[in-house]
Amino acid sequence: MTAGALSIWSKTFSYAIRSLCLLHIIHTYAYEFTETRGESMLPTLSATNDYVHVLKHFQNGKGIKMGDCVVALKPTDPNHRICKRITGMPGDMVLVDPSTIVNHVGDVLVDEERFSTYIKVPEGHVWVTGDNLSHSLDSRTYNALPMGLIMGKIVAANNFDKPFWDSRHNIWGFKWIKNAFVDANGESN
Amino acid sequence: MFQAESSRRIIRSTLIALSWVPVLLTINNNVVHIAQIRGTSMQPTLNPQTETLATDWVLLWKLGVKNPTSLSRDDVILFKAPTNPLKVYCKRVKGLPFDTIDTKFPYPKPQVNLPRGHVWVEGDNFFHSIDSNTFGPISSGLVMGKVVAIVWPPSRWGSDLKLSTGRNCIARRAVAE
Repeated sequence: MTAGALSIWSKTFSYAIRSLCLLHIIHTYAYEFTETRGESMLPTLSATNDYVHVLKHFQNGKGIKMGDCVVALKPTDPNHRICKRITGMPGDMVLVDPSTIVNHVGDVLVDEERFSTYIKVPEGHVWVTGDNLSHSLDSRTYNALPMGLIMGKIVAANNFDKPFWDSRHNIWGFKWIKNAFVDANGESN
Repeated sequence: MFQAESSRRIIRSTLIALSWVPVLLTINNNVVHIAQIRGTSMQPTLNPQTETLATDWVLLWKLGVKNPTSLSRDDVILFKAPTNPLKVYCKRVKGLPFDTIDTKFPYPKPQVNLPRGHVWVEGDNFFHSIDSNTFGPISSGLVMGKVVAIVWPPSRWGSDLKLSTGRNCIARRAVAE
């Protein structure tokens, strides 16, 4: 009796270990479905309850392009993950902070120092910013992001605040996250 | 009949063996790993032989090393090169977050305060080393593992990893948090 019970327990345990590790390997190398939080990527991703589909093929910045959304480890704290859009590739000259602040009486304030500072993105690094520039901690604060910290590229998102089946037939607000880069020089030609 | 039975048994045991592969991979990726050290930047601690082509193989501890609090000064670490994520460098941690470091050429400033979550790394053989003096402090998220021991060749078993700790470059230690 006890031997039988023991063998059932050890069998369950071994199956659990093996399936968890398989899941972990898939999460590391192929695909991950993970929660994102925070206002920095509004309006592309909502502040709460958004889940993103991440392709791990793009780990270490392999094959990423300007305008892609990526998940990366936060350079100042590797226990946190960030979700940003790439706005500068290695070798690009980047204007550090193109944002302006409008104060409560409507004056447009420009931080002269940052607005007139340009940085050349070093080799093996990318410049990342949130889509919501006024509420995002990104390369403007912690400088260019080493590609080694990039964990994958976001290709789609679900929002579990949305109904399962909405008027546009999207399951839980499913949407593709597309490359948002528009080459102004290319367009004028 | 007998043959069908035995081939089924072979398939079954192969599948069981395969099902353990993810477990091994997970342990190899996240807990312990064996890595080869190339290059001369960590002489004389690692790869001290100059005439032979023999290289040291080391045992790496990977669990939790991305956390800056788990690193300490004079640890030997492997990390992804900030300038090329596919390259791995092996250096010694010389400064922890918020330390002040005396830099040397080619770093543009004589002293640097390390930012939050960043460490300063240098090779022991600091004349022949591409390290933080070239690419600046590195984010601890790039760290892949901490060298625990030398496992190969056997003649190097038990050698001291703090045989030489390079140059003394700490100007001021961070106040304990």
